[in-house]
Amino acid sequence: MDPKTRNVVALATIIALVAVSWWLFWPLNTKVTQGLDIKGGVQVILTAKPIGNNTLDESAMSRTEAILTERVNGLGVSEASVQRQGNDSMLVQLPGIKNSEDALAALGSTGRLDFVDLRSIATSENLAYGVKVPVASYDASSVVVAGSSVKSAGASIDAQNQPAVSVEFDKTGTDAWGAYTTANVGQYVVILLDNVVQSVAQIREPIIDGSTQISGSFDAAEAKRLSAVLQAGALPVELEPSSTQIVGPTLGGESLRQGLLAGLIGLGLVIVFMIVYYRGLGILSLLSLGTYLSLLFGVVALLSRMGAFALTLPGIAGLVLTVGLAADSSILIFERFKEEVRMGKTYRTAAKSGTRHAIGTSLDADLVTFVSAIVLFIVAIGPVKGFALTLMLGIACDLTVAILFTRTAVILLAENVIPKAPWLFGLKGGDINA
Amino acid sequence: MRRTVIDFMGKRKIFFAISAVVLLIGIGSLLTKGLVFGIEFQGGTVMTFQTSGNTTAEDIRGALDTAGVSDARNATIQPTENNMFLVRTSEGDSEKSTAAFRAVVQELALPEQDVTVTTIGPGWGASVTNSALLALAISILAILIYISLRFEYKMSLTAVLALVHDTIIVLGVYSLSGREVTPNTMAALLTILGYSLYDTIVVFHRIRENSRNLQKQTFMQMANESINQVLMRWVNTSLTSVIPVACLFFFGGETLKDFAFALMIGMLSGAYSSVGVASPVYAMWKEREPKFQALKKKYAKITVKAS
Repeated sequence: MDPKTRNVVALATIIALVAVSWWLFWPLNTKVTQGLDIKGGVQVILTAKPIGNNTLDESAMSRTEAILTERVNGLGVSEASVQRQGNDSMLVQLPGIKNSEDALAALGSTGRLDFVDLRSIATSENLAYGVKVPVASYDASSVVVAGSSVKSAGASIDAQNQPAVSVEFDKTGTDAWGAYTTANVGQYVVILLDNVVQSVAQIREPIIDGSTQISGSFDAAEAKRLSAVLQAGALPVELEPSSTQIVGPTLGGESLRQGLLAGLIGLGLVIVFMIVYYRGLGILSLLSLGTYLSLLFGVVALLSRMGAFALTLPGIAGLVLTVGLAADSSILIFERFKEEVRMGKTYRTAAKSGTRHAIGTSLDADLVTFVSAIVLFIVAIGPVKGFALTLMLGIACDLTVAILFTRTAVILLAENVIPKAPWLFGLKGGDINA
Repeated sequence: MRRTVIDFMGKRKIFFAISAVVLLIGIGSLLTKGLVFGIEFQGGTVMTFQTSGNTTAEDIRGALDTAGVSDARNATIQPTENNMFLVRTSEGDSEKSTAAFRAVVQELALPEQDVTVTTIGPGWGASVTNSALLALAISILAILIYISLRFEYKMSLTAVLALVHDTIIVLGVYSLSGREVTPNTMAALLTILGYSLYDTIVVFHRIRENSRNLQKQTFMQMANESINQVLMRWVNTSLTSVIPVACLFFFGGETLKDFAFALMIGMLSGAYSSVGVASPVYAMWKEREPKFQALKKKYAKITVKAS
């Protein structure tokens, strides 16, 4: 490709990219997904511990993830998400939810459902709703039906018009339940969820169709929560909330406003500095930064649309940091260009070889940062991830702008504008090419 | 041609002395005073209260006590902008903290507000620290490999030396100032790893370029000239990087301040160490190579001259 065509192609590409970006991200507040720490909601990091002799292997964790996702969906929170973090943690985000206590109870409980014959529970306590029964007081063989046999569960109303949970068993459950209820009419069965008594029911007649109803002293909300837990099944691990963040939307909005304000002030100061120091080239760097931010927000909006990005406070810090990074690339290009002009090269040659060398340098300098950002993104947990991601996106956009836009613009200016007014660019006149 | 030539390499002993003193103070403080870790590392709760202006920290402490927060006496209550208070307690249970939040709002008749409570369990800090240390080790390894491939292993080792230098300085400043170390600090620190090398890479690029046709000059003189050639780049890129981060520190609100502080210290230290540590150590190491030793014998007496 001859140089002229190359310049045209580069500029056309960058203009197209900027246009697509604007189309993607405008208006910003609806096109860029905001993280929980900004728009408010509940964010919990649950850390898994093995139950008994089980190990925290890959299959246990992916099953936990699937179950949590189902429970979250059962709660009816829109845009909720469940993500794996590190080896043993789950990040659960419930945007916009106010009643965090209920959500936490539904997420964290193991969800182990046992139907146990009253006679086989060795306890002196009165087994009423809400009483916790020690695990040791009944052995596994006395469990008539376990939660793993639940095929489906849903909130319903019982014959006394009380909130209840309807449960349907699978084949194993139906058989076991049928056999037990046939042999034990008149006896009492205790329904335990995570060792807490949900209800104690008398068997009035054999139930052979595999469905049953649990009613206790719970209200409609609890019935809904219980059925969400039962429907999703028991967790293969025990979950402990290791970090719970409840953010009110007002405070989050305020943080966003402050972060953006700080970013804009920083951007403004950088631009002022560039124009004062580099004059004409400084104005070019204003355009470069504008192009850079357009691309960056375009990518961010695109990832938001795909559900792969949410702007968090640490993410904003990452964005602000990359403004400096983008200015750095311009500086490297301008300085190298001026240096080559000082060495006596023509503007045209200086622009060509100077920008090429400078981009080589910024490629290495940027990639070193990129390498540590990637490691951070893969290995780290918690708030660090959002920061690393914006940093990586920033570096990618920065290199794109430096190669396609800043370099081409310097070459075009050196050919057409700089020879006519070198003082405007902080260069002395008298160039042989002038 | 107007051009300042500063004899950086000749002053390398001064740089080393400065670094040694700062590092010693930093390490000394880390060993004796240690670091203050945020609630993320011990487990505890942070709540944010919006008041209407006539509530004092003691009112809040009293209300926390009434609400049954176990060690309300030891809670830190810190006023922030717009009549807000940041309250930290050692409570590790999210439900209890949320209940306490509601109770305090009611007790003090605070304006109606959304619950803003962060509770961290005791094990969380350990897993954050472990993942950060792992990231640190892998980062350093990746940077070593990258620079060794693109440049040479002597550059990669000196660059990593500068990096360790910067990391110790950031941690030392945290220790001395008693600022809280949070997972955000860790994120910032890990980013500094890559970013503090920006200037070092710029200088190394030039040294590599100049060393290809090294004549009538010692390696040290050439390295010094290289630094001078990229001096304005070094100053300006450092400035444009620090400016936005400084703005974040001054105007960015509580969470962002946290990031910005570590980033700012790391950037300044990184800018210094590229010229004060990485370049001179690299040049000294290179001068031991036979090829450059010969040059040194021949041209060492010629002092730095303007080019």
